[in-house]
Amino acid sequence: MTEIIQIIIDALSLGSLYALGALGIALIFGVMRLVNFAHGDTIAFCVFALLWPSIDAAAVVFAGHLPTVLLIPLILLIGAGLSVLSEIIVFRRFRKANPATMMIASFALGFVIRYFLLMLYSSRPKSINLWESLGESIGFLGARVPLLQIVTVAITLGILGLLTLFLKRSRYGLEMRAAAENFTMARMLGVRANRVIMLAFALSGMLAATTGLILVTQTGTVDIQMGASVMLIAFIATVIGGLGSLTGAVTAGYLIGAASVLMQVVLPLDARPFRDAFVYGAVIVTLIWRPNGLFVARSAKQRV
Amino acid sequence: MSVSGETIMRHLTKIAFGMLMAGLSLGASAQAADIVVGFATASSGFMQAYDKPAQDAALIRIDEINKAGGLLGRQIKVVTADTKTDRAEGAKAGLEVIDKGADLVIVSCDYDFGSPAALAAEAAGKISMFLCAESVKAGIQGVGPHSFSASILAAVQGATMVDWSYNKKNARTYYRLLDTWTEYNKGVCDGFDWQLPKMKDAKLVGSDTFKNEDTSIAAQITRIKSLPKPPDAIMLCSMMPGVVSAIKQIRAAGITSMILNGSSVDGSYWLSATPDLSDFYVPVQGSIYGDDPNKDVTVFNAKYKAATGGDPSSQYVYPGYVLIDVWAKAVARAGTTDADAVTAKLEAMKDEPTLFGPRTFTSELHHQNKGKYLIVDVNKGKPSVVGDWTIAEPIPLSYLLKQ
Repeated sequence: MTEIIQIIIDALSLGSLYALGALGIALIFGVMRLVNFAHGDTIAFCVFALLWPSIDAAAVVFAGHLPTVLLIPLILLIGAGLSVLSEIIVFRRFRKANPATMMIASFALGFVIRYFLLMLYSSRPKSINLWESLGESIGFLGARVPLLQIVTVAITLGILGLLTLFLKRSRYGLEMRAAAENFTMARMLGVRANRVIMLAFALSGMLAATTGLILVTQTGTVDIQMGASVMLIAFIATVIGGLGSLTGAVTAGYLIGAASVLMQVVLPLDARPFRDAFVYGAVIVTLIWRPNGLFVARSAKQRV
Repeated sequence: MSVSGETIMRHLTKIAFGMLMAGLSLGASAQAADIVVGFATASSGFMQAYDKPAQDAALIRIDEINKAGGLLGRQIKVVTADTKTDRAEGAKAGLEVIDKGADLVIVSCDYDFGSPAALAAEAAGKISMFLCAESVKAGIQGVGPHSFSASILAAVQGATMVDWSYNKKNARTYYRLLDTWTEYNKGVCDGFDWQLPKMKDAKLVGSDTFKNEDTSIAAQITRIKSLPKPPDAIMLCSMMPGVVSAIKQIRAAGITSMILNGSSVDGSYWLSATPDLSDFYVPVQGSIYGDDPNKDVTVFNAKYKAATGGDPSSQYVYPGYVLIDVWAKAVARAGTTDADAVTAKLEAMKDEPTLFGPRTFTSELHHQNKGKYLIVDVNKGKPSVVGDWTIAEPIPLSYLLKQ
């Protein structure tokens, strides 16, 4: 029984991480049909912000020493700032371009961010011990689980709750939802496009920062490629969830996390190295079954 | 008239060509005063962080030889070309240093990134040496008869850790956790698999895999925790950066079994991620922690610091030094830099002493399938040498090739 609880918590915590990543991508896709491949590099950037630039093998921790109450807002601000800056400098100029062009631009931006980090910090992965107390394990319904897993799930659920409130109850949320549904119509009705888009980027940047902080606390590692794998799975989650659907992205994030943990548990040893092939196989089956994803966004339906 | 004009032109062309060739050979003979070592390694891109430390160590040995009067009475000159951590650029870099007259081509640390330049050297009939590759392919099997690596095979590291932990730590139950990312990781676990059945009463109680980029290995940890009894030792076959995450998560889950790994985790730069890590063991060719039983290693560390401004960050600095050392000895014995003659002298080396343990090369294997390792123990976040170990018998080539 404790084993099953343990597996459920493993699946939930991994799923939370993927859900957060997927949400960051889905938010921007919703308002401007952009699949932002620079999201993974934004995650890495936020984590590197904990360190002082140096190419030494050992990390020179800088912002990472700040007390938590200052550190979290700072990193969230850095994520939001970088994200908004990429909108102002890069994506704004592609507003009229087709989605494929924007996607390529986001790839390019991702490379720029990654090589900027390479220049300042070198390619060596660095190590940092953030919030050590989260690494301790606690008793939970009879199972011993690392505190971080519980915190990750709690934070994700908290963020989901806040975001839902924001989107459903606030004026800005309403504008964002309107823009996601029909951007042209929303503008005609007085929604200011730049403000809504910038808001989406800021939120997405903060989600990147949150993902980064959880990642670095869990792995203890800061690496210029660290955002890439989360980004890939998050992107797949937004596709299976139904591009444009926030609920879909989050649900699919949890499903992929659960599938990944489950495969690791049930596959025989010889098949386990190919775990991801099974996970992605399930992705293909899902897409054949529902080509538009699990939750088809209303805005997507109109596009024939 | 027109015919004789043509003849004159032909003569003139011949003369001009002859002069050109004479000029070229003059230039070449002027250069021949120096022996040229070419580095076709990464000075940019992510391999740079791995190539540069070993290259700096190689340069220290070259400097020592030059100061002691040179090799065959000639000075060693260094030429370089950047592979930019790109395999296509690697082949070009190999050709570039050969064009600059390299007698020895030193290539990137990793087999995949170093082999293009090594193959270029092989095609030109030159000796190539990998800075620190630990795959059996980095040599005759993957490049050709003039290719060598100065490091020790990954499999030896896995085998050494089993043998040592069984004998010195009384480990009897082992758990094998393989990171399927690289050949190196598989190599370490192959060595583990080869050695374990030789240990009486030692038992493999479980086996699992993960991927280096996995953000969470929670499912793998749950499997270890579901065992009726925790294993005495976990053989982790992994490398940076994922290994740090794996170790951190294993310890965070409250698993206290000793953890063994290959040399890839040597260095204290990552220990900040797991401040109180204990019972963690790695094999190293020399100690960067200032406690090497061989005092000359500590002297070398000081030299390295003086030359580069920093202490060696891991044991992967050392193979660079060994590489120049064994090659220079072979050249001195052969009396020439000719690839065949030098290869023959290298292949004649049996337990050749070097600063970082003995080296043996044969006409079948240009790599070490047995080697002396120091064992580093990380205790409360502090690494130190606790002994040394050499596996009783070399891992057979046939086994290495079968994997």
